[in-house]
Amino acid sequence: MRPSTRTALLLGKGIGNASRTLKFGGGSTLPGRVARRVNPAFVETMVKELPLGCALITGTNGKTTTATLLASILDNAGMTPVHNRTGANLMAGIASALIRESDMSGHLGAHIGLFEVDEAALPAAIADTSPRLVLVNNLFRDQLDRYGELDTLASKMKKSIAGLDPGAVVALNADDPLVSSIGSGLEQKVMYYGIDDESYASGIMQHAADSKHCAACGARLDYDYYLFGHLGRYNCPGCGASRPAAEVAATHLEMLGMDGTRCTLRFPGGSSELVIPLPGLYNVYNILAAMTAGLALGVEPDVIMPAVEEFTAAFGRVERVKTADREILMILAKNPAGFNEVIRTLTFEPGRKSVVLALNDNIADGRDVSWIWDVDFEMFRGKVTDVVCSGIRAWDMALRIKYSGIGELSLTTEPALEKALDLGLNAIGPGETLYVVPTYTAMLDLRRTMVSRGLVAPYWEGQ
Amino acid sequence: MTVRIGWLYPDLMNIYGDRGNIVTLVQRCKWRGIPVEVDELGPGDRIHDGLHDIFFMGGGQDREQELVYLDLLELKGESLKRQIENGAAALVICGGYQLFGKFYRPFEGDELAGIEVFDAYTVAGRKRCIGNVVAHSALGGPSGTIVGFENHSGKTYLGEGCMPLGMVTTGYGNNAEDRTEGAVYLGAIGTYLHGSLLPKNPGVADFLIEKGLARQGGDVRLDPLDDTVELRAHDSAVARARKTH
Repeated sequence: MRPSTRTALLLGKGIGNASRTLKFGGGSTLPGRVARRVNPAFVETMVKELPLGCALITGTNGKTTTATLLASILDNAGMTPVHNRTGANLMAGIASALIRESDMSGHLGAHIGLFEVDEAALPAAIADTSPRLVLVNNLFRDQLDRYGELDTLASKMKKSIAGLDPGAVVALNADDPLVSSIGSGLEQKVMYYGIDDESYASGIMQHAADSKHCAACGARLDYDYYLFGHLGRYNCPGCGASRPAAEVAATHLEMLGMDGTRCTLRFPGGSSELVIPLPGLYNVYNILAAMTAGLALGVEPDVIMPAVEEFTAAFGRVERVKTADREILMILAKNPAGFNEVIRTLTFEPGRKSVVLALNDNIADGRDVSWIWDVDFEMFRGKVTDVVCSGIRAWDMALRIKYSGIGELSLTTEPALEKALDLGLNAIGPGETLYVVPTYTAMLDLRRTMVSRGLVAPYWEGQ
Repeated sequence: MTVRIGWLYPDLMNIYGDRGNIVTLVQRCKWRGIPVEVDELGPGDRIHDGLHDIFFMGGGQDREQELVYLDLLELKGESLKRQIENGAAALVICGGYQLFGKFYRPFEGDELAGIEVFDAYTVAGRKRCIGNVVAHSALGGPSGTIVGFENHSGKTYLGEGCMPLGMVTTGYGNNAEDRTEGAVYLGAIGTYLHGSLLPKNPGVADFLIEKGLARQGGDVRLDPLDDTVELRAHDSAVARARKTH
């Protein structure tokens, strides 16, 4: 190990410990930031210690859920992963994970690097980690103010993926036309996954749909049906491109509302029935993604399936919290497609509901809050009785709800998150559930409140 | 008297929640008891003389913009311009705004002609102008300001034949140089502001509805609405804009 790598590691370790001791937070990015400042090649040097190499998980929605499930699959297979698990998915987060998992001499106890990375950070992450697997789960419009346009992003991703080692595997969501287009013409092995069932399909695209045109030739895509945003069964009348056959697929779907989804998972050489304990079609994709990644990394299906069955939500994304006599269900929603899916799932639940919507516009949420106008809040009609709008942009959210034109709805605006949570809890009765839908930094703040009330454990005390 | 809105390329030109502008026009008519209809005008659809009171076009990604370009220029442009000369109102955002100007000059290659509603032209810029915007505007309601979010790299310059929609106090605006934001010509408004623009700027929304009604010779005094939530959202966005720049 070069002296500067060692210095970087020791400094990073010191900062991580201090940060946890002083309760600044989980120390999830600061140690890595410092280490990379001392030695810019820190990640590149450290990952060479991993005997099984690295796997990268990217995509707009579902990175954390997918990576957390894949981590437990790899654990079951005896391939101990080092994983940047608190959603700190920029390069500093990767560096911090490496620091946390290594001893003072830089020896890593892990066998394989499992990193979730922002779409925009993928080229840098590929350059630094030379991964043997890259998985792209979906590409939705999310924080365009940060990433530039979706098409540009996809072509940058494709360019860096094409430069991977020829022995690497690329796992792609077949149902997302922009993602599947990354696989065409690649020298590397490509594995596709998707949903082979149209029972929850729709003939109409949601307002949030993003990718409507063929990435190869620009013609407008023909859809047989839509499943989730722009995901579905498509073909291009221009160049003949179509949705690739899925090697790993979900069939026979039955949605059980907040309790999850029952389906059959089909993989090469077998199939298995499963109840996925997470709500929404998007979580079916996350499960398929993790399975495909596991198979690509050489894990046997009979090792993968038990891990999938034991899996519970990556926390912070969907979290059930008990108060003395009520329940809070907190679901992260950070972009229109994700938000629409949360609303759709919520409306499958019986009974009329109270909801807290918490909209922040910090950098990590995206400064631009225009996207809330692409969310179909009109679906609340007849299903939701009380809405409390909160967060830095509480009034923007209140305005969106006002213009949804749902007259019978009781609407309250309270920018302070803690007060909003209490207003929401007061609007429901004992034994009932309050639904809380925050953006990313609003979720972190709300969680801090719940930690201080002793309702949940802080992030860094494990899952 | 029905207000008829022509929504240009709703599938292709709707990035950054531009649809919120249509929602706002529709609701503010409905709340006043004014019947309102929205017609979607996609590629291949012709503009019928005198049919629509308000036109709307949002922004799009580069590829979507390329797809609408020829259709707008060849099939709709001349007719749209005539409707506006005859009193129709229009709101065009970002990419739509650029196409309503005289031309767009890319870094390389030929200038792309626009439909020349606005005496304005756009040149490709190297720097992307992203962030919250506050501008002084005559259509800014009680505070005299409009607020929104811009995300563009093209730089637009206005000629003598149109007025700016506002003067920027926070953010970049048309070209990051002369503090102008947007353009107004008769009842047509072009702007870089998303947000969506109209919900938080009800003065601009009502201007468009008034122009649309006036075209039909209708009573243009709109009943006031309770804009408490609109103005709170406006004020908090202004405060946030000043803090994040």
